[in-house]
Amino acid sequence: MQPLVIMKDVKKQFPGVTALDGISFDIMPGEVHVLLGENGAGKSTLMKILSGVHKPTDGQIIIGGSEFTALTPKDSRSCGISVIYQELSVINELSIQENLFVGNLPVKNIGPMKIVDYKKMREATQMLLGKVGLRKDPETAVEELSISEKQQVEIAKALAADSRILIMDEPTTSLTSSEVSHLFAVIRELKKEGHGIVFISHKLGEIMEIGDRVTVLKDGRYVGTKKISDVTQDDLVTMMVGRQISKNYQHPSADYSDAPVIFEVRNLSRKDGKVKNVSFKLRRGEILGFSGLVGSGRSEMMNSIFGAEPKACGEILIDGKEVRTSAPFYSIKSGLAMVTENRRETGFFHNFSIKKNISVLPFIKQSSFAGITGLVSDKNEDIWADEQKKNLNIKCYSTEQGITELSGGNQQKVILGKWLAADSQIIIFDEPTKGIDVGSKGEIYALMRRLADEGKGILVVSSELPELLAVCDTIAVFREGEIVAVFPHKEATEEKIIAASTAEKGEGNRP
Amino acid sequence: MNANNKIGNSTFAFKTAWQRYGTLGILILLLTILAALKPGYFFQPSTVTQILSQSSVNILIALGEFFAILIAGIDLSVGSVTALSGMVTAKLMVAGIAPLPAVILGILLGAILGFINGILVNGTGLHPFIITLGTQAIFRGITLIISDSSAIFGFPASFTTFMAKRFIYIPVSAFIALVAALVLAFLTNKTKLGRNIYALGGNKESAWYSGINVKLHTLIVFIISGICAGIAGAVLLGRVGSAEPAAATGFETYAIAAAIIGGTSFFGGKGKIFGVVMGGLIIGVINFGMNLLSVSSTLQQVVMGALIIGSVTLDRFVAGNK
Ligand SMILES: Nc1ncnc2c1ncn2[C@@H]1O[C@H](COP(=O)(O)OP(=O)(O)OP(=O)(O)O)[C@@H](O)[C@H]1O
Ligand SMILES: [Mg+2]
Repeated sequence: MQPLVIMKDVKKQFPGVTALDGISFDIMPGEVHVLLGENGAGKSTLMKILSGVHKPTDGQIIIGGSEFTALTPKDSRSCGISVIYQELSVINELSIQENLFVGNLPVKNIGPMKIVDYKKMREATQMLLGKVGLRKDPETAVEELSISEKQQVEIAKALAADSRILIMDEPTTSLTSSEVSHLFAVIRELKKEGHGIVFISHKLGEIMEIGDRVTVLKDGRYVGTKKISDVTQDDLVTMMVGRQISKNYQHPSADYSDAPVIFEVRNLSRKDGKVKNVSFKLRRGEILGFSGLVGSGRSEMMNSIFGAEPKACGEILIDGKEVRTSAPFYSIKSGLAMVTENRRETGFFHNFSIKKNISVLPFIKQSSFAGITGLVSDKNEDIWADEQKKNLNIKCYSTEQGITELSGGNQQKVILGKWLAADSQIIIFDEPTKGIDVGSKGEIYALMRRLADEGKGILVVSSELPELLAVCDTIAVFREGEIVAVFPHKEATEEKIIAASTAEKGEGNRP
Repeated sequence: MNANNKIGNSTFAFKTAWQRYGTLGILILLLTILAALKPGYFFQPSTVTQILSQSSVNILIALGEFFAILIAGIDLSVGSVTALSGMVTAKLMVAGIAPLPAVILGILLGAILGFINGILVNGTGLHPFIITLGTQAIFRGITLIISDSSAIFGFPASFTTFMAKRFIYIPVSAFIALVAALVLAFLTNKTKLGRNIYALGGNKESAWYSGINVKLHTLIVFIISGICAGIAGAVLLGRVGSAEPAAATGFETYAIAAAIIGGTSFFGGKGKIFGVVMGGLIIGVINFGMNLLSVSSTLQQVVMGALIIGSVTLDRFVAGNK
């Protein structure tokens, strides 16, 4: 069988970094080819060369017999390549069918005039939606869809454009586990029809489940290509990091029940009913996790604690004293920090360098009147940025680099660094390891533990149960705006937590 | 591979140089063209005076407009604010109030008008385009009412002679614009307030989560814009010698153009005071040049419009940022 795409000895040089140093890669029809590597290894860059976003410095691309030294986005599309980015590119204001056929509307002739053939568009849309398993009317506005449904629209759009090659760059980071299985079912269908799929993910379990072959990159260099059936997860990790990693994070088995309470939430409710009369305590040294299904109200609760969204009533106490949290400014001043869930929307400043992104928080915290008084100090900025770069192992050649030049995982690390630089007493982490590679995850868990040991309060929201089980001393389960169960680390299992988040009355201790 | 690298790096270096000094390059290019076309007229000290005094008002207004654009907004009322605060300053002076307090009150009025813009933007949540389109008409209307639609003149001699002064061919108005630019450059580069405004322009949601008071900063931005227009109003009085009810009509276009030519991003969060000053000077030179070449005033409008589009396109093309 002929490969759909062959990339030969591709190099890509950015000012200051060699992102790709002679990578060869191919895609066969009917296979899922996984790209794996640490944050900044060059996965997204390699795919951006295929989609025409970046020009390679050197190398060759062969698609269906024709040779290219570089592709334009137009070449890429006409060669049947579509990319499903993590930041979805659907147009919210349009309907599903318009999104699928934008730029390529089916037309019919009425006399000398061409008009849009809505009937044909509707039928074609229905057929494509059937393929991706999205049961929605073609005229539904895309803004009414969930993230995973938008992703389905994106896949349907690729099919509408007659794409043979689908590139999915971390498609599962924002999906729930049932949405992931749904996506996998669609991918299996596409395979049967002979599409070639590139799948990028940091979740090894997913890779083992859906992949046929895997190519591993490290620091822009090619490590190797293997059949998934021939490797174990441990083999993959060894290939990725170039050595065997011992599990560098061990869960301590301490008992915190006598430790002093450093943070407390009392009777927190929201007007919209998404949080109902929630109370909990956090003890010194303890890491408290929150589990629950999407929409159970965890993030809403954190937003209200932090003052980013209004609360109807409730008290927030640090070290036994009530603190003002009516807006993020006051919360930050009182010693709270919150790593938000969506780095693009609420996390970073695309127009700032790494350094400036990190220093926003400490500058605000130091300033007295509404965060506007005072001068920016270059010296402090450098100290903060260098400290976080070291702390989180951010991969960049200078902290003056624009944050958008970083790989996805390193951007996430900058966001973590921004909040850590504020040196807050209580830190809320909402999905802290989105897009972060396996090795760095362990380092971040170890960092959280170190902070907790130093006496900082750590709260973690995560939809990845293994993550909560790995870091938390206590896991609270959220359902319909309430804490329905609380499990200490030694009693917690995935089964019990899932049961509690779905069942009417979960097992486990009532809070 | 090595050769490729070199090419890659040198184009990169060129791009950064262009981003930093490109506007300066355009300015020098324009001056060279003018000098070549009309050497006799061009090489005169009064040329400097004329270009600077024509540019100062526009630069002052553009400095304020820059902040409104920096937060991904816009201020269409700057021309009307210039006219209204100039008119009030003129009335005060004619009524016998000393020039300095009259000018200060005029600038204060500019600040208040900016404050009103800010309050309306924050209160309604509407885009600044809509709010300032409205206040543009309102402020202009008030100018017409208080002036009874006629020009005011007869300012104290101390005011007119001071404004007509020049030091080594550099007019007072240029010094005023320079001081304003320096103060605002300090604000943008060295203060937390400035940093926060850039942050807000880059991502409003992130700014809010990072503890930046979005409404307060929006308000401050419109006040800055109002103050700059207020200062421009006084400078314009000095240059024209009278307060016209239709003064500064359409000046918002030039102010926006100066900011954009100077590299300010319309999407917010990017831009520099230095660029705005360069943008203002470029427009000043174009205006001066067309007068020198006796281009008819109607045609001047067409040329100016084309040059605005042309220079921004050139910038995008060279810098390669789509
Ligand atoms: N536009 C750019 N300018 C400069 N450097 C860049 C640019 N884009 C990527 N890089 C650099 O290229 C390298 C590879 O980045 P890439 O985004 O491909 O990594 P990745 O493997 O996708 O990582 P992640 O798992 O974190 O998404 C990184 O060192 C990154 O900083
Ligand atoms: Mg990536």
